Amino acid sequence: MEFNEEEILARASEGDRDAFGQLYERYIDRIFNYVYYRTGNLHDAEDLTARVFQRAMNHIHNYTDRGVPFSAWLYRIAHNLVANWHRDRSRRQEISLEDMPVLPLKGEHPERNLVRSQEQEALLKLIRRLPPERQNLLILKFVENLSNAEIGKIMGRSEGAVKSLYHRTLLALRDQLGDEHINLDGD
Amino acid sequence: MARRKSPTESDEVLLKKLETRLAGTLKPIQPSSEFVRSLRERIRIPAHEEIVSRFREWRRLFFVFGGVMSGLLLVITLARALFHLAGRKDGM
Repeated sequence: MEFNEEEILARASEGDRDAFGQLYERYIDRIFNYVYYRTGNLHDAEDLTARVFQRAMNHIHNYTDRGVPFSAWLYRIAHNLVANWHRDRSRRQEISLEDMPVLPLKGEHPERNLVRSQEQEALLKLIRRLPPERQNLLILKFVENLSNAEIGKIMGRSEGAVKSLYHRTLLALRDQLGDEHINLDGD
Repeated sequence: MARRKSPTESDEVLLKKLETRLAGTLKPIQPSSEFVRSLRERIRIPAHEEIVSRFREWRRLFFVFGGVMSGLLLVITLARALFHLAGRKDGM
């Protein structure tokens, strides 16, 4: 059955919970991944993802289609909640990356796996030090596999601006690789 | 005027490797099915606060209370009238 987002959105904004449920099924993984990579731990990712959908449900009657995809609206809610979370966190303590699982690649020697995991952790640490906009861009590009044009719609930028921001982000990461002892020659 | 430095071939290779490393690090992960299920239920069933807020509408509550009291008064009046009529008949 074809997913007619426009029609489902119209029903959801009139208070149809089943319609909102369909939107939930469609976007839960994407929002969860976004929040997970922005926070770095599963527990907070689940808590914030739940809050994103509850807030979306309470305010969906205010949603108006202005040519921006519904996902952009959800990402905006998620972005605001993550920003609040970081602000509250920074008042209390430093973010721990210890519970951020790094997925091992199949068939690799355990020692090589360990080195790779450490390097991935270091890379995640570097990513999390980037400005939020650049983190969003990397998550949307690599986790969500979106094109520059799609990312542009979500971030409210042109395709060219996204391309340029992406290039600058890569350069910034490259310049900091040495600080975290990340060696790219092992690939 | 400072000219923008064009990337060298080794820069390009390094950026390609960095992209590969990013793709290997930023992988999509699946939220736990338990979490997805429980959140789905919370979304489909009205929240406790929402149910409570419906009862907090004092105007509706006032009309309901007024309706119940009026109904009771009517029943009592009818009962008294019937009792009075029945009592008269017995006394005749």
